[in-house]
Amino acid sequence: MFMNALLSGLTLGGVYALVAMGLTIQYGVSRSLNLGYGEFLIGAAFAVYVLFGALGISPYLLALVVVPVAFGLSWLIYRVMLTPILRRARTPVALEIDSLLLTFGLLFAMMGIMLLVFGSNYTSYTYLSVPVRILDATVALNRLVSFGAAVVVGALAFAFLMRTRTGMALRAVAVDPVGAQLVGIDVKWAAGLAFAIGGAIAALGGVLISTYMTFTAEMGVVFTMKALIVVIMAGVGHVVGALLVGLALGLIEAFVAAYLDPGLTVAVIYAVFLLALIVRPVGIFGRAVR
Amino acid sequence: MLEVSNLSVSYGRHLALSDVALSVGQGEIVVVLGANGAGKSTFIKALAGLVTPAPGARILLGGQSLERLPAHQIVEAGLALVPEGRHLFSTLTVAENLSLGAFLPRTRAQASDSLERVFAVFPKLRQRLSQIAGTMSGGEQQMVAIGRAMMTDPQLLLLDEPSLGLSPLLTTELFRALPNIAATGTSVLMVEQNSHQSLSISDRGYLLEDGRITGEGAASDLLQSEAVQKAYLGM
Repeated sequence: MFMNALLSGLTLGGVYALVAMGLTIQYGVSRSLNLGYGEFLIGAAFAVYVLFGALGISPYLLALVVVPVAFGLSWLIYRVMLTPILRRARTPVALEIDSLLLTFGLLFAMMGIMLLVFGSNYTSYTYLSVPVRILDATVALNRLVSFGAAVVVGALAFAFLMRTRTGMALRAVAVDPVGAQLVGIDVKWAAGLAFAIGGAIAALGGVLISTYMTFTAEMGVVFTMKALIVVIMAGVGHVVGALLVGLALGLIEAFVAAYLDPGLTVAVIYAVFLLALIVRPVGIFGRAVR
Repeated sequence: MLEVSNLSVSYGRHLALSDVALSVGQGEIVVVLGANGAGKSTFIKALAGLVTPAPGARILLGGQSLERLPAHQIVEAGLALVPEGRHLFSTLTVAENLSLGAFLPRTRAQASDSLERVFAVFPKLRQRLSQIAGTMSGGEQQMVAIGRAMMTDPQLLLLDEPSLGLSPLLTTELFRALPNIAATGTSVLMVEQNSHQSLSISDRGYLLEDGRITGEGAASDLLQSEAVQKAYLGM
């Protein structure tokens, strides 16, 4: 039982870590918390479900189409809907409140469209559902492949942030947007790019999760909340922290489900979240700097 | 080299800056003196594009108009601001902060020359490259902030109250460094309350009161002037 829980926790946690990383990049750089984040994930899951059903192409290959579309769509949403707010907001707090209200609306709009098209039923499809034995545990191949893809993309995104000039510019904007302007970084451009990268990562998460989980049009908010919990627990904008806490979240879920009760996973996660906030309000990896 | 005329800024109905005119020549150090609330910060933020000037303002740097450009393009044009509060990338290292200073393609090519110039002015920074900027003392952070601005390879360096929050010793050290920067051809324009030390290293000075320029002259004359001594030097 231990190995089974460990494997299912790691595979799930890997995707949580990736999805949380996307949100922390989005939120950390653009300072706009996207409450419709999980809708991108579910939207991508449905897109893959439809395309896989129609064309029979591997969902992992379909990601090559779905992810760039999500990138473009997120960028467009930022430019069309969030830049006017950015121009209007007098203070960072006003910007956060306005963008919360706006993306709250975005959540319902996207969810409404998906409900209209796909209904509220649980949806799933079967792909690479082959049992693989590792030590004395069994895990489905689709979970392993999804975990591998999450690790590879997470590592690439991390390298992009740490090793490239564009990545360094994004980090600079996350730390101090005024300072970033003063070295010649176009903050609006950086925020749009971060928003687009976040949306693309959410969509990839949706593709990966759809290969082994059932999903509904109304489930986006669950993923937004989980990603948000990870982001806040790790400290906003802390990429490595998001990856570690995301992985831990998956493990906690799997072990609670295996040893306590599957119905308790959500309660335990929120309890851990509250505890972490009480002990470290700035996040486990967050630094209390101005 | 910098020519400012007709510069006004209002916040809502409050007129913070009214018809300011000022010039800075190549390699010159110019100080704008003013009390709290005189409009010093507004003035320097307007030059850097962080607040929007009223229509009709003219800000020319080497012949290029800056008054309508966003902040990041003003850096590209050759004007660098060391802001009040420094706005360093506090969780990044000193090396990363300096390297971000040379973010623009125009400045990237000069990055290693610029870095040598920064080290020539602030030799201390060479040993501190791997330190996280937010963990440094106020004076050291001010050096990094000025160094980062120098990395943008500016024609004009703007300093918003560089001595604010520094000990007298550090302030002296900082003001000693400024002529070395000007000697490399970069002009320096600062706003200050600490008038004695800032005037003593400046070529010229302006007096700013209630958003208006009320006097100007050679720094040595201002240092002697009775009115300035009364108003700013506390004598």
